[in-house]
Amino acid sequence: MSTEPLKQDSYDIAIIGAGPAGMSAAVTACAAGASVVVLDDKPHAGGQIYRGVDHSPLETPDTLGEDYIKGQALTKAFAQSGAEHLRGVNVWHVGDNGEVLLSEQGKTRRLTATQLIIANGAMERPFPIPGWHLPGVMSAGSAQVMLKSDGLVIDDAVFVGTGPLLYLIVAQYIRLGVPVKAVVDTTPKENYLNAAKVGLGVARMPKMLLKGLGLLREIRRAGVPFYRCAEALEVLGDEQATGIRFSAGGQHHEIEASRVFLHQGVIPNLNITRALGLEHHWCEQQLCWKPNLNVWGRSSLAHVAVVGDASGIVGADGAHIMGRIAALMQLESLGFIDKDQRNEQARAGFAQLASMQRFRAFIDALYRPMDAHRIPQQDATVVCRCEERSVADLKAGFALGGKLPDQLKSQTRCGMGPCQGRMCGHTVSELLGQWNEQPVSEIGYYRLRSPMRLLALEELGAFSELAPSHANAKPEVQS
Amino acid sequence: MSQLKTSDVLIIGGGIQGASAAYHLAQRGVCVAVVEKDTVSRHASGVNAGGVRLLGRHVAEVELSLESMRRWHQLDDELDADTGFRARSLINIAADEKDLETLAQREVQMHQLGYFHEVRLDQPELRERLPFVAPHCVGGVVSESDGYAIPFHATQAFCHAAKRLGAQFYEGQQVEQIRRVGDSWLVTTATERFQAEHLINCAGAWGDLVSVMMGDNVPMSYSAPMLMITTRMPHFATPVVGAVSRPLSFKQFENGTVLIGGGAKGFADRTANRTRLDYKLIANGAKNAIDFFPIMRTASVNRMWSGLEGYMPDNLPVLGKSARAEKAYHAFAFSAHGFQLGPVVGEVLADLVTTGETRFDLEPLRVNRYERKVL
Repeated sequence: MSTEPLKQDSYDIAIIGAGPAGMSAAVTACAAGASVVVLDDKPHAGGQIYRGVDHSPLETPDTLGEDYIKGQALTKAFAQSGAEHLRGVNVWHVGDNGEVLLSEQGKTRRLTATQLIIANGAMERPFPIPGWHLPGVMSAGSAQVMLKSDGLVIDDAVFVGTGPLLYLIVAQYIRLGVPVKAVVDTTPKENYLNAAKVGLGVARMPKMLLKGLGLLREIRRAGVPFYRCAEALEVLGDEQATGIRFSAGGQHHEIEASRVFLHQGVIPNLNITRALGLEHHWCEQQLCWKPNLNVWGRSSLAHVAVVGDASGIVGADGAHIMGRIAALMQLESLGFIDKDQRNEQARAGFAQLASMQRFRAFIDALYRPMDAHRIPQQDATVVCRCEERSVADLKAGFALGGKLPDQLKSQTRCGMGPCQGRMCGHTVSELLGQWNEQPVSEIGYYRLRSPMRLLALEELGAFSELAPSHANAKPEVQS
Repeated sequence: MSQLKTSDVLIIGGGIQGASAAYHLAQRGVCVAVVEKDTVSRHASGVNAGGVRLLGRHVAEVELSLESMRRWHQLDDELDADTGFRARSLINIAADEKDLETLAQREVQMHQLGYFHEVRLDQPELRERLPFVAPHCVGGVVSESDGYAIPFHATQAFCHAAKRLGAQFYEGQQVEQIRRVGDSWLVTTATERFQAEHLINCAGAWGDLVSVMMGDNVPMSYSAPMLMITTRMPHFATPVVGAVSRPLSFKQFENGTVLIGGGAKGFADRTANRTRLDYKLIANGAKNAIDFFPIMRTASVNRMWSGLEGYMPDNLPVLGKSARAEKAYHAFAFSAHGFQLGPVVGEVLADLVTTGETRFDLEPLRVNRYERKVL
């Protein structure tokens, strides 16, 4: 892992995340002459979708598919853009004053930027079913990470859930000859009907749809047992996952497995946008919180833009275009281009985004995770894995006055563990919506704070600029 | 406009002082209502470091703090709730000879006043109580009765106990106007009107604003003391820890997490209910923690935060009757050490309302102590 030294500590634009959105924003901004820094926690650019595309551990990375390999064009353009790329750094604080604090090889550094673009992508939606917290249960996303970064695969796993990413990883496994025990598809029957209703724009995107159908065909042809419309899911086991139980097609099924991969889509990673205090809204179409943005990606803080999946799930192609559009907006704010140039250069992108939105609505309807898999009803189901808080614990806290996420957290410690509620936040918002009989939009989300991820106390201590003897002479606060 | 809500006493502020006052008044059969602009224990009372500290109190507060400590030790039973209180003792560490001299002087002063709850520790005694303390620490002072509680739970416990006795809490009600009409107080929010014979200001970091509406000027400032908490660590410290002359304060909870404070202040935007942290400054707390306890080198910070708190120039609270208004009382600006005083403050306010007097000397805490003084 090589880390280039910071050439300067202030920039026109700081971009967080080197996935398709961040890279395309950097390419656009640099081309107009802005000084750009891109901060990313991976050793190589690409984000989740194009993770390791230039440095694949696999001998034949093209088996991962055309959508993966095409990332090479963007990573190449990014490498040549002139943007300063800080690799393998962990951003742990982003301030509303343009301050960014990051860990770089165990040391905290500070930089500032006039404009900020947040492109930290998505995270997998929690899948709070009974037993999901057991060792042996992982997310399909982590299977992807293992495959793309380290070339690691797991034999005889069961894949459970819904959504293109689930089918993609299974198809990738099949192409690599990895045995897959079963696919338990949780897409409910009514989704096909609802998707058909919004499917008007799909004719314009036959290629993307065919690709999805192709994956399913590939899985079935490989002879992997495939269960449709599964519900009443339960991961079995006490100390470790031993199998999965569900009903499908009017029958109960039980499959033995020590490895279960769960996936039911992705949601924006709110880590930075929430800690920054940006305004958010609940999106009923995608069942997630999203930052409030204008068409250019500008947030409620004028100098902060949010693009790509961090803004709402748009996919890699949408992220690519949004990154470019937000960069054009910020270039105009900074005076590198004028409004006419901005509008002219963004026109084609806006048109593409508009046509993608129709396809997105179709995908959202088709792979909409069912209520029972988002809003756990059984008392024993764990909601907060860090502090092991179950639905029953939360109900007790709710009865004691924990009506809103922060109160419930203070009452029960749900969301107080190492992930700080980044995993259980959506589940808690929806549960409280149900219990309060209010729309989720009224419930809100936890107040997230820095650090964005665990920070070594020693590293923080070394960031102090005052010697202790010069610090406040007398402790006036002890309570 | 909704119907007028009348009570004997109206309390502004649903923090620990307001909730405790509501509890003590309701217990005496007084009809009491609390208006809170956000939610109960939303601010300093819910997010402070939870220290229940008698050690090192200013002499003006010692009597109050002693009585409050007595109450803390039976509070869970009294309120029929779990405040999270744990008596763990509190030790202030002396890092050098100068600190030891400071402690010796303090001991003389306390003994002269007749207080013997602070006991000096030599180096072996310190090490026995805190085996992981750094070798350069030469001694300290301990108060055995001290400990910590869970702030949100403690404040909620008072609120629930008060409610059980009939107190009414109105959340999301920001006071817009306060008027004295005839023999009663009229208080209006955006949607409600309240009428009461007595009015109590427990508005914390907003206490000066309420005070002015009641008729008392006060030179309060507000700020955002910063805290951080680590992930779980192996057990290494039972007592709550402070330092004689360094901004250090920490405690290890039963689950292994370590809360580090020390009084460094961030930036407060009280209009927006927001705080911003000063990361360079809070980093000092991290450094001090490691200096005093090298085992902390292995700790990871999980969260940093701050709450909004009101401060007086002398770092003492305003507690007592209004200087200018009839049947009006204050309990605010506890200057980041009011949590421990919560149980006794409720009793003091209830005494003032129901009898007009209190057994405690509140002269050094009066609201107008800065009038005609050069600050």
